[in-house]
Amino acid sequence: MIELKNVTKEFKVGAKDKVVALKDINLHVQKGEIVLLKGPSGSGKSTILSLIAALNKPTIGEVIVDGKRVSKLADNFTSLFRRENIGFIFQRYNLIPSLSAKENVIVPLIPSNPDSNWLEDRLQELFQNFSLESKMEVMVKNLSGGEQQRVAIARALVNNPSIIIADEPTANLDKKLSLEFIEILKKLKNGHNSIIIASHDPLFFDLDFIDRQIDIHNGEIL
Amino acid sequence: MKSKINLFLFDFSVLSIFRRGSKNIFIFFVFTLLIFLLSSVLFISNSIKSELDTTLNALPDITVQRLQAGRAINMPLSRLNKLLAIDGVNAVIPRVWGYYYFANAGANFSVVGIDQFEDQYRDLYTKLCDKFNFDKLKKDSGMLIGSGIDQMLKNNFYQGYFNFVKPDGSLAKVKIDGVFKADTALESNDVIVMPIKKVREIFGMKPDEAVDFVIKVANPSEIPNIARKITEIYPDTRVITKEDLKISYQNLFDYKGGLFLALFVISTFTFFMIIYDKASGVSSDEKREIGILKAVGWTIDDILKEKFYEAFVISFVSFITALCLSMFYVYFLNAPLLRNIFIGYSNLKPAFDLPFSFDFQTFAIIFFLTVPIYIAATIIPSWRVASMDADEVMR
Ligand SMILES: Nc1ncnc2c1ncn2[C@@H]1O[C@H](COP(=O)(O)OP(=O)(O)O)[C@@H](O)[C@H]1O
Ligand SMILES: [Mg+2]
Repeated sequence: MIELKNVTKEFKVGAKDKVVALKDINLHVQKGEIVLLKGPSGSGKSTILSLIAALNKPTIGEVIVDGKRVSKLADNFTSLFRRENIGFIFQRYNLIPSLSAKENVIVPLIPSNPDSNWLEDRLQELFQNFSLESKMEVMVKNLSGGEQQRVAIARALVNNPSIIIADEPTANLDKKLSLEFIEILKKLKNGHNSIIIASHDPLFFDLDFIDRQIDIHNGEIL
Repeated sequence: MKSKINLFLFDFSVLSIFRRGSKNIFIFFVFTLLIFLLSSVLFISNSIKSELDTTLNALPDITVQRLQAGRAINMPLSRLNKLLAIDGVNAVIPRVWGYYYFANAGANFSVVGIDQFEDQYRDLYTKLCDKFNFDKLKKDSGMLIGSGIDQMLKNNFYQGYFNFVKPDGSLAKVKIDGVFKADTALESNDVIVMPIKKVREIFGMKPDEAVDFVIKVANPSEIPNIARKITEIYPDTRVITKEDLKISYQNLFDYKGGLFLALFVISTFTFFMIIYDKASGVSSDEKREIGILKAVGWTIDDILKEKFYEAFVISFVSFITALCLSMFYVYFLNAPLLRNIFIGYSNLKPAFDLPFSFDFQTFAIIFFLTVPIYIAATIIPSWRVASMDADEVMR
């Protein structure tokens, strides 16, 4: 279970000014639930996702995941927390352009020094699922946008995360690829994973497998 | 805890070196060049130092010169007996030697006289010389010459002999019956050895005079005492002890030391410039990459380990390459160009080989002056980036 308790997030801008990105937010996401965060650009959706993944810390309040106060963890432990629990599909994918598709997918596993046989199997499975077998050795910067996103999804899933996060997943895709992504998403729903999507794309608004839609405006939940 | 080293991480580091290929090739070249310069300078000075140590050990205990008006003049052989009578003096050896100016090459040869080419020295000379025939030497009353002189005479078309010009303008033709091996010593390079009689003839010296006396002492701690007694007996002499000579030799060496120190400073300075450049920033691509690694679950330690491997591989490969190159350059090629800076002992431009002299200490000095500094310079800025929030770094 994911819990945001009275979370306020401010960003410093320049020497004195600050932006209030989130104002006293409370949010619960159940295990296995699929949640859509919607709202206009700048409303604070990405900030919520970062806080859940402990990529950032709240100014006030706390973030609790499976009983763990991740907003209070020391830096090294937030990394471990992400490695074990979070699969994050970033808006700009955040792949390493000079690595191949396969190498990008391996990256999250490297620190845990995995067994090579197990790793090979896992990669085969993922690349088959996302129809990327022929692209394994291709450098990511030479892949199309849709392919890059599928590599990013494979990387997010390689650790079998219990929380999957997608930030504006259709922002850089055309209609056809967006619908493909939604198909992938549907398959990821299995009752164990919590999935949180941030998007203002109307394609998401009436999908029946999405359990809940949350409107964000100016850093507040409506 | 897994103690097995993480090969995935190591592979990733090596891959990263190649991914940033052009930048790393540049670093590799500059770094290799600097280590090469530094180690060459140290190897050459080590070589010269070990050569010098051998020379210093071979110095006479006491040298006695006769002075007139502050200049050294010849020493009458008649003074020999009184000196021999001093307690603690084992032997007094009159030396006949001088500098012969060879105008064609603009160089001075040191001409040293020895009593005779006696049979007891047959083995010694055979060991010291190339192309040497003892019997011929005795018969000719010829000379042995240093390899530098050999080279110079050949350049001036002398084959097998040399014509010395005597003070009265007539010529003394002396046959060359041996050349000191090139690796014997720095100072044998511009030396000519021939019978005392011949030296006297060439320089026009009287038969009852020597240039100076060399004294052998039974007990080295007696040297100052004996030196004092000599000046009491002959107030017109200057007595030079082994200690005095050592100091002046070492001054000579320190002067050379200063020159290579300058080189050393220049190379370290350049080195630190590069380090500074690296330390003052991580490229925006690398920065973003660190952010990504952190976002997908790498800890700061993982990131630093990766950077450590990268820096270690580059700097260690550079280090080994540079060391091999510089050994080849110094000990095999005899350090062309750089050598000229160091070798000023001789009035000749010497052609001697640098003797191999390499110790673990030098190896360690070169290593610690380069590899860890480079690693630190790479890791510290990465560490700064890795400690920031991943969110912040990726933006
Ligand atoms: N690192 C940051 N520094 C300064 N301002 C930020 C930072 N991240 C987000 N903001 C600001 O916080 C607000 C919310 O941003 P964000 O969560 O990205 O909105 P959304 O994802 O809904 O478009 C915006 O006004 C944005 O400019
Ligand atoms: Mg956003």
